Amino acid sequence: MGLLEIEEVSVQFGGLLAVDDASISVPAGCVTGLIGPNGAGKTTLFNVITGLQAPSGGRVVLDDVEVTRRRPYRRARLGIARTFQRLEAFGSLTARENVLVALEMRRRWATARYDCGKIADELLERVGIAHVAETRVEALPTGSARLVELARALATDPKVLLLDEPSSGLDEQETDALGVLLHELTAGGLAVLLVEHDMPLVMEACSYISVLDFGRVIARGTPREIQADPSVQRAYLGTAKAAS
Amino acid sequence: MTSAVAASPARDASSGVPVLQLAAVRAGYGRIDVLHGIDLDLRPGEVFALLGPNGAGKSTTLAVSSGQITPTSGGLFLCGRDVTGVSPDALARAGVCLIPEGRGIFPNLTVAENLRMATYTGRAYHHVLDLAFAQFPRLGERRKQTAGTLSGGEQQMLSMARALATEPAVLLIDELSMGLAPIIVEELYDHVRRIAASGLSILIVEQFAHEILGLADRAGIMLHGRLLHTGPPASIADELADAYLGADHAAPRVDSSQ
Amino acid sequence: MSQRWSNLLVWAGTIAFVVLVSKTAWAGNPVNGTSLTNLVVLALPLAGIIAMAASGLVVVYTTTGIFNFAQGAIGMFLAYVDWELTVHHGWPQLFVLPLVVLVIAPLLGIGLDRAIMRHLQGKALVVQLSVTVGLMFAFIGLANMLWNQNTAHSMPALFQGEGFHIGQVLLTWHRFITIVVAVALAIGLRILLFQTRIGIAMRAVVDNRDLAALGGARSSVLSSFAWALGCSLAALAGILLAPETADMSTTTLTFLIITAFAAAVVGRLRSLPLTYLGALILALATQWSGSFLRFSERWTNVPDALPTIMLFIVLLLLPRAEIQFARIGQVRRVERVSSVRDAAIGMLALLVFIVVMSMFVLSNTDTTNLSRFALGMCTALVALSLVPLTGWAGQVSLAPLAFAGIGAVAYARLGGAHGSIWAVFLAALVTVPVGALFAFPAMRLQGLYLALATLAFAAMVEEVFYSQPFAIGAGERSVQPVHLLGIDFTSKRAFLILVTVVFGLCGIGIVALRRSAFGRRLVALRDSEAASVTVGVNVLETKLAVFALSAGIAGFAGAFFAMNAGTLNGPTGFEMIAGLPIVLALVIGGVGFVAGALFAGIFGLSLVIIQSDWHISLWIGLTYLAPGLAVLGIIQNPSGAVVPIGEGFARLLPWRHDARRDYEEMTAATAEPEVGGLGLERPFEEADVLLVDRELGISNEVPRAVAAARSG
Repeated sequence: MGLLEIEEVSVQFGGLLAVDDASISVPAGCVTGLIGPNGAGKTTLFNVITGLQAPSGGRVVLDDVEVTRRRPYRRARLGIARTFQRLEAFGSLTARENVLVALEMRRRWATARYDCGKIADELLERVGIAHVAETRVEALPTGSARLVELARALATDPKVLLLDEPSSGLDEQETDALGVLLHELTAGGLAVLLVEHDMPLVMEACSYISVLDFGRVIARGTPREIQADPSVQRAYLGTAKAAS
Repeated sequence: MTSAVAASPARDASSGVPVLQLAAVRAGYGRIDVLHGIDLDLRPGEVFALLGPNGAGKSTTLAVSSGQITPTSGGLFLCGRDVTGVSPDALARAGVCLIPEGRGIFPNLTVAENLRMATYTGRAYHHVLDLAFAQFPRLGERRKQTAGTLSGGEQQMLSMARALATEPAVLLIDELSMGLAPIIVEELYDHVRRIAASGLSILIVEQFAHEILGLADRAGIMLHGRLLHTGPPASIADELADAYLGADHAAPRVDSSQ
Repeated sequence: MSQRWSNLLVWAGTIAFVVLVSKTAWAGNPVNGTSLTNLVVLALPLAGIIAMAASGLVVVYTTTGIFNFAQGAIGMFLAYVDWELTVHHGWPQLFVLPLVVLVIAPLLGIGLDRAIMRHLQGKALVVQLSVTVGLMFAFIGLANMLWNQNTAHSMPALFQGEGFHIGQVLLTWHRFITIVVAVALAIGLRILLFQTRIGIAMRAVVDNRDLAALGGARSSVLSSFAWALGCSLAALAGILLAPETADMSTTTLTFLIITAFAAAVVGRLRSLPLTYLGALILALATQWSGSFLRFSERWTNVPDALPTIMLFIVLLLLPRAEIQFARIGQVRRVERVSSVRDAAIGMLALLVFIVVMSMFVLSNTDTTNLSRFALGMCTALVALSLVPLTGWAGQVSLAPLAFAGIGAVAYARLGGAHGSIWAVFLAALVTVPVGALFAFPAMRLQGLYLALATLAFAAMVEEVFYSQPFAIGAGERSVQPVHLLGIDFTSKRAFLILVTVVFGLCGIGIVALRRSAFGRRLVALRDSEAASVTVGVNVLETKLAVFALSAGIAGFAGAFFAMNAGTLNGPTGFEMIAGLPIVLALVIGGVGFVAGALFAGIFGLSLVIIQSDWHISLWIGLTYLAPGLAVLGIIQNPSGAVVPIGEGFARLLPWRHDARRDYEEMTAATAEPEVGGLGLERPFEEADVLLVDRELGISNEVPRAVAAARSG
């Protein structure tokens, strides 16, 4: 039983079935990968989990509590945090202010008292962007802005973290650092669902991987199993490979 | 890597002037840098396949080629002339035609009206219709239908028909297969094969690599905004699984707690 | 609340409202065949005029993305041009009408597009709106200057008001022609949009602007054409409407547009058939109230408010907006958030300036000028109410002065008559819930629609609220300035200093607020609603808070308006149209800044001074014209005039090392690379030739011959 359970979720856009009866289990303490070709429905699924998109069927369960009908901000308060594939950082705020917004929201429902400014600095340090804390995010390069989003998501002290292509825009060094950070986070009991196209990172970081194609989960298993799975190769490379 | 393409395109005389050339192009969206120095030349009459995983910068390369994005540095050359910074509509009239990712159609216009939009490059309307319906008879049957109600494959055909009707010098195709069932993709590629045979220069971006390697003259793999491994398709095929699924990388870590 | 329930609520409310109003205001006229025929015959030409104006709005909005507030003013102006040529110069209407509609109007449209509108693509909504609002003022001002409004202008109806009877109702040829023209236009627009290439391209742009450009359609040609068409439709509506009004008042003709807004919103600013339907319904409703209802006493002005009430209802029936994702936009100019200390120093400097000036420049008996300065500070305070709401949270409100009006009345009613200090705070307190109510439509409506809703609200307050006996009623109410710390601020000089101190404290408070958790949350919500909710921001709660805060400040400002005026008389001073220049001036100054609010105050003050002290006929129109011309400043500097001024000033302050450093970095970044020495110090390479080629624009003509040679 995963900390986050996506059960038979479907999303219909007009005549197009963007997500088709997808079930994914995201256990605590490890990284679960979600991969698939462009347009397979990964981001749509993220939107369903965070409540930005209502599903046409299925359930989202967090820690045995069904959250399918909860408002997005309620889910955030229950412990679901995410980053976005297309950057959604607060562009006219500084990196530090971005994190502060999340921390100050969390302070309203968290039981423990804490010093927002201090934790903000720690988080920026942790994701490796402390040196640009006072820079407005729209003036930052993509990679750093993504890390701002990551720090902001962590600031809500989530149980489940959804990462949508976190490595795009990062250089190799930063990507390595991201891998290390993911290790640390899951060691602390966090559940991570990772959408990513950087396969070395996915294969390195994930304990389990689900493969989405045309909105359906076509394979799930360990990284080794996924790499060997012919249906996955077909989804990525087309039909000819399977035939040859 | 590509044959050394310097700032002066005319020097590469071995295969004639490239129809389309990107020289050391860096580009991105706003602050987001996507391309980190792309050198790419499309020779007359060839089909060049640009492959690579999500987010590698393939679509951005096409956006630069069609003038939608101006490179932050480097240049775009059309038949040897510098067209860096030229607007997309001017490039379209000059013969560069992009079939964008997704569906390159106007969903609320009819099939015929969509084709009417192809007359801005100087063709007569009836000429455009004749050409399109000869290539894609199925569109002729549905000329009065609203494009948004066509099937995915038919929409993609309309998009191709609209592009071809302008009789472009260069055709840029972005992810023709996106969201379509394999059987329809195959049918569409039959059309591409036929178009290629007529001698048009085509730069095609794909994820479904094996569909396209069969019809490409050359191919290149993109990763992280750079163009790697340019060469004949056969030499590319082996690199692909690695690029997509990272097969040859260090053995995946298995969490001991599991 | 689900979409269906809230829709049901609005429908039920609308029906209850219509029934209730019809019942209470029933004039007792018989409802029979004759009166109903009469109703329809009167409504049809009105519907035609509304539809023409609304179609123009829709055509421009769909093709260019700009909502043209000035549509009505353009129609009014061109109607005056028509009057000038026909009545004044005696040219035949048969010649002039086509001249104005088919030549002058399109030229005006193309000129507007080239000079102004094209530069607005991709700018913030509040900037786009302000520019067209400014344009509206400019046209009103220009018309007032050219055609003296103290003398009556009347345009004869076509065929001198003759006509024919339908039943017992006379349908004049003029009205008949109006109907025919409207129908012909519907057919003509249909043909244009579905049969011609440019029309198809205009629809294609609605579907996918980028793809249209990829197909080779020139967006500049399309936008010029749309503006030309929009102006022609405006002219037609204006000219056909003019004879129906008694004396062609510039404002009456301009504000026909509110009804057209409602009709266009019925068509969701996209569909012309629905727009026509909307126009018909609105015209029928207008005639219904005209024929069968009679409003008296406190409700006298309801018929004037009818278009805005209808606009408001139509807006509430729109479907709920989706959660907004951020757009990857251009990098905005990096602005520094002021520190509280700097704000305090600035406010102190302002206070010193005002004190010195009121002591040594203005004499205590010069109540006129002291009062004007106080009015300027009050205006700045009202503008300040928009800084958190519009500047940070991005919610465009055009009704700040309406909230000030409510505050002024509350002050007068709750102790202001004898200058109670508590009344000032009660004034703020009373407006808070009214403002907070706006958070609910703001949950449904985004951007432009919300702005229109606030505009409708401002007009409704103007027409309906002040005439209520519990507010001001038929007479007037006098108020006293507050007593505070044993001082009564009846002296104008003391009052001016008081208002300045109040503005200063509020300004410092606002700066402190921007640096607080709440301020950050507002900016975050504007930058990305999607990201805000995923970190736990409750959007409704946040919008409630910011609308309440904004209304509270405006209400507070209203109390000081009332004190400065001494008496309240109907809506005087708080009209909808008086509120728009404040928004405009704030945008020019910088909508996110306290200094922008001060700029708005100074702007208002200078207008008042110029208008009343310079007795030159040319300046009569200036009240309107100046805000109109000022919009040109917005195009140059969309983030506001105070930004470069502030940056320049900050560099001069000894302790602002950071400002000097920012400036150096910026100039270093924008410095052009050196071209010098070409061909002298380094070889002249082919790349340079191409560079020159490009500079000369030769590269635009790429030889297609290469492609042709290849295939052949």
